[in-house]
Amino acid sequence: MATTPVYIICSPRPLVGKTLIARLLCEFLLLKNGTVNAFDINLKEPSLLEYLPRVTETAEVDNTFGKMQLMDRLIVNDAVAKVIDLGFHAFDEFFQMSEEIGFMKEAARRGVSPVILFVADTDRASARGHTMLQQKIPKTHLVTIDNEFVVRGELPRAMAVGRVVRIAALPVFLKTYIDRLTFSFTNYLRNEKDTSTELHQWIRENYFSFRELELSLMLQRS
Amino acid sequence: MAKPVVIVVGADKGGVGKTTVSRTLLDYFSANNVPTRAFDTESPRGTLKRFHPELTEIVDMTATADQMKIFDTLNSGTPSVTVIDVRAGLLSPALASLRDIGFLDAAKAGQITFAVFHILGPSIASLDEIAETANFMQGAKYFLVKNFINNTSFFEWDQATYNSYFHRIKDATELTIPKLNEMAYEQVEVASVPFLKFVANKGTHDEAANYSFVLRGYVRHWLANVWSEFDRIKLTDLVGAGKSGARGEK
Repeated sequence: MATTPVYIICSPRPLVGKTLIARLLCEFLLLKNGTVNAFDINLKEPSLLEYLPRVTETAEVDNTFGKMQLMDRLIVNDAVAKVIDLGFHAFDEFFQMSEEIGFMKEAARRGVSPVILFVADTDRASARGHTMLQQKIPKTHLVTIDNEFVVRGELPRAMAVGRVVRIAALPVFLKTYIDRLTFSFTNYLRNEKDTSTELHQWIRENYFSFRELELSLMLQRS
Repeated sequence: MAKPVVIVVGADKGGVGKTTVSRTLLDYFSANNVPTRAFDTESPRGTLKRFHPELTEIVDMTATADQMKIFDTLNSGTPSVTVIDVRAGLLSPALASLRDIGFLDAAKAGQITFAVFHILGPSIASLDEIAETANFMQGAKYFLVKNFINNTSFFEWDQATYNSYFHRIKDATELTIPKLNEMAYEQVEVASVPFLKFVANKGTHDEAANYSFVLRGYVRHWLANVWSEFDRIKLTDLVGAGKSGARGEK
């Protein structure tokens, strides 16, 4: 039976690049599968909804009704990959609720494959958050995102254990360029004739990392 | 033949969760393969019967005929466990009736296993019931149930008051029922099924239902916590049944 991946991009810290990674991943999945369902639980930060309004809906986990609306969708094995941009303010609540309702176990039973993409930082809240995830999430489902723009090559040793996906830092002028609401990574790949540009290579590198991550998950399942 | 077991669940105060605790007991015994019958004294319309219609009979505990229906059938074989959900205000009179018919003496003599789950609310009036009820508890297992389902507190912040109620009765055992998410509780109410069926996503007649995964998760987590309390007090040993190995699966 085919499984449905659910990517949860999270950090207990604001402004570490969660939405950027969610955008990249959504566009990668759209390019590969033609479809993706994204959920934005990140309304206090730059919002995924503003970048990808056609595939994104807002969700909340600070009340039971919101949790039902979200989790009852995530647990469905419908072969449509899901991406969750989980805001820092919802980090603790989301994982506490997931543990309480037995999300990981039920997901495994239904052929849904949650992947937690933890965006690392060097502060204490991140260290605590990562330790909490290591205790609650099977290590095959936990991936650390080493965003060079944030950790500057100083990924804490404890977070380097297990699978790590590295996102290289872009120069500030390119960062400003990709932060425009109308910018699309896939459109850039399609339209930019010069494949040697830094941005072209950066996007391809990241898409390649996601492809590798997907393959490793498929291998684990088989 | 196994010794008959009578479990009375009650309180003089209303709205403290007597029927909720009775329901968790019936689910617990069902999961542990302990044959059980139940009596609902909320006559004429019983809440417990709505959730467990096959096991439950509605009785009027003040009527002699219904008292006979409960207590004269205790030795008639299976099921050996009888759960009585006593409606609000009737706990003390019910215990007095049991004393009058010689039931408490039989329990004292070891002919019957008798347990009382006294459900407590967060008021002095509710706690005052403890002393009154304790007078009937010779020969019985007495459980003081702190029901947090209404997100309440039991004067833990005032140690003197707390001790004066909870540590006064020597042989009483404290039991804690944790809080259940309000929406999950309401959804089970609407579904009118036992907690176990709700968790298993089943309707009244075992047909597949479509309850929220989140709410089922909350109920499962809560029920596991309640049952761990029942395990802690060795409830299956009390009713003379070993803990079922198949429970986890169920």
